[in-house]
Amino acid sequence: MNVIITFRNHENPFIPIEAEMITPDAFLEEKNEICVAVGNRSYPLSEVADFSIVGEASSVDDIEVLIRGDTSRVKRVGEYMSGGAITIEGDIGMHCGNFMSGGRIEILGSADGWLGREMKGGEIICHGDAGDYCASGYRGGRRGMRGGSVEVFGSVGDFACEHIAGGEVLIHGNTGDFACAEMKGGTVTILGDTSRVCANMSAGTCYVYGSAVEMIPTFEKKGTVNHDGVLFHHFRGDVANRGNGDLYTVHFTYLQ
Amino acid sequence: MAEILLKNAYVIDPISGINGEVMDIAISGGKIVEEVSSKPEVIDCQGCLTLPGGIDSHTHISGTKVNFGRYMSPEDMRAGRTAKKGPMHITSGYSVPTTYGNSYRYSALGYTTLVEGAVAPLEARHTHEEFKFTPLQDSCANILFDGNWGMLRALEEGDIKRAAAIIAWTLNAVKGFAIKLTNPGGTEAWGFGKNVSCINEKIPTFDLTPAEIIKGAIRANELLHLPHSVHLHCNNLGTPGNFTCTIGTFGHVPDLNDKRQTLYATHVQFHSYGGTGWSDFCSKSEPVANMVNFRPQIVIDMGQVMFGRTTTMTADGPMEFNLYRLHHDKWSNHDVELETGSGIIPVNYRKKNLVNSIMWAIGLELALLVKNPWQCLLTTDNPNGAPFIKYPEIIALLMSKRYRDAEFAMIHQDTEKRVPLPAIDRELDWHDIAVMTRAGQARALGITDLGKGYLMPGAEADIAIYPIKTDEIDPSAEYEKIIQGFARTEYTIKRGRVVSRRGDAIIDGENTTFWVKPKVPAAYDIQHDPTFMELFERNYSVRMSNYPVQEEYLHRNHCIETETDL
Repeated sequence: MNVIITFRNHENPFIPIEAEMITPDAFLEEKNEICVAVGNRSYPLSEVADFSIVGEASSVDDIEVLIRGDTSRVKRVGEYMSGGAITIEGDIGMHCGNFMSGGRIEILGSADGWLGREMKGGEIICHGDAGDYCASGYRGGRRGMRGGSVEVFGSVGDFACEHIAGGEVLIHGNTGDFACAEMKGGTVTILGDTSRVCANMSAGTCYVYGSAVEMIPTFEKKGTVNHDGVLFHHFRGDVANRGNGDLYTVHFTYLQ
Repeated sequence: MAEILLKNAYVIDPISGINGEVMDIAISGGKIVEEVSSKPEVIDCQGCLTLPGGIDSHTHISGTKVNFGRYMSPEDMRAGRTAKKGPMHITSGYSVPTTYGNSYRYSALGYTTLVEGAVAPLEARHTHEEFKFTPLQDSCANILFDGNWGMLRALEEGDIKRAAAIIAWTLNAVKGFAIKLTNPGGTEAWGFGKNVSCINEKIPTFDLTPAEIIKGAIRANELLHLPHSVHLHCNNLGTPGNFTCTIGTFGHVPDLNDKRQTLYATHVQFHSYGGTGWSDFCSKSEPVANMVNFRPQIVIDMGQVMFGRTTTMTADGPMEFNLYRLHHDKWSNHDVELETGSGIIPVNYRKKNLVNSIMWAIGLELALLVKNPWQCLLTTDNPNGAPFIKYPEIIALLMSKRYRDAEFAMIHQDTEKRVPLPAIDRELDWHDIAVMTRAGQARALGITDLGKGYLMPGAEADIAIYPIKTDEIDPSAEYEKIIQGFARTEYTIKRGRVVSRRGDAIIDGENTTFWVKPKVPAAYDIQHDPTFMELFERNYSVRMSNYPVQEEYLHRNHCIETETDL
């Protein structure tokens, strides 16, 4: 089954649309009417977007959803999805792929904050940049992303992979401040530069191919390691949290 | 105000000596009356269990500490979300819900009066503001005096009357209801990084022991003739082996009042631990319950722990720090100038954890081993042991041995060797439950004179009607029906109006705050005492004139004036 959703230009582009029902799982059940919230009102999807459904699906994995148009303020797309695929041609709003447990989301533009928050499985590929709290936990939570994979070709904002407890994250660009804060597991690879990385980590592995600026001082230096043909400085910590995580970085500078 | 006639109500009203009579109740002008005019609104109760409105004598629902629990746990707000419905506001939160969440959920359980267990006097204003938005329950605030420098100095000098005068001024100024002592001396010591471990050990900053503070406060309380007794959270909460401290404290309590108890000891479950450490941790509910059985001047509440996620919050700062060292999760501590402190930690009580399983058993044992239900009231120290929405489950556990055994099979297997619970066969009856959830509370708080806790003409029309037909249910076997029945009233009536119907609040409501004003002779008016004024001006961050909570903050309120012996 192929679903194509084309969002029309909003009358007021500042009003966000909450579209947690746009998942392959929702299209599997035909009776389901897809509703979205525009501001504080609920509407059928047809009020804000044109959509067409072609073909039939016997399982969720047969469903491919293509989202076009003005989607930079459409939130919660793919929340709780368990299979199938969503492709977004433009930018996507916050909370894309929250709690997803399977399937694949591909974003050809950029993503806003909270991309893949608390996801358990599946795959997210973002060709542009991602906002703050990419692959992280939520306010007050103790465990962020638990499984699956996230790949961002651009850069990400602050608090990337906060509280991450499992899964794999690959960031091709740079990160903002406090990447991998409170890390509890999983593997994060940052090909660019990062700042104050892995603060208070207790377990997990983080590779920084660029430079880790303002390194947290409470990490124990273990020497150098050759990984993937690149020489890394190996750190253990965060000692302040009696942590046992591994941080590998090519360059690092402490706060002056 | 509208008149209501309740027909065919199956009433259990322990204070009036009614145990299961089908009768009619007439309500007019917010009170229960002998009879109403010819055209009242008639509610046919069809023989459903009808009790006085529930009273929670120790809960944490309002004030800075509770609110800080809300700040600290945004994840708690992800649960318990309800949408706007009729007059009901949006609510959210599970263990520390919004004020309206507390109010609606208590109302659905049939509760109409709540006592906020611990309010720092300096921060009482916030508590009163939140009371206003807990509209379906009348409220009282227990005021913390455990580290009050003015009172401690007076006790140090052996001047009980001066201590009583300071208490009287403070209660009046902050519109409080009763004296609360939380880890007396210990929270004060914690301001200097220390704690006390024994009631007969001098506290570091004053020439006093916790036992002397407790005894002094009890005598001052009786000099002021306050409606409630001293409300005590004993020292050494949560420490293995603390039952000796608890029993020692109870041993110091004289019998000074013939209308009510002389000491109300709260959440005693947390104070009935044996062992020397966590490895040999065990229940000592039997000696504690025996002590209570021999001492009619003491009333305790359970402080039952139920499994699941919750937030602990208490004025006992050092205890919360010790808890943090066990959990290594987020925590907060707070010091309140010359008065007290507090701490907050989110916890998760787990069935697979031996210590948590023993704690669960101890609360039930206390309720079952204390022979007189008037002396052991039902609480969870909400939300410390569990959120109050677990009350129906606790009632079912107390009424059904079979349910206790079924739950016992699910908890940590080593619990059996450490607790006497499996050997206790007692099952409480409907009357006992009515005592432990409303009548006992009303008497212990001393608010029966205000028309609380009974259903005779002259009483406030606070009534809970549960969808329970007592003759059709066998409590020991059909515990599911007890849980369902107590979880949602058919009608909750507050001051003569139906406020909650089958779990939904149907009107906005307006509550009353009760506060006390002891009539102190001019010689003991501490407001003009130069020593006290100097202490205030030198050490407080606010001026004495800005300290009192003005009556405007109280909304609807009722002042209880007491004659004093000063």
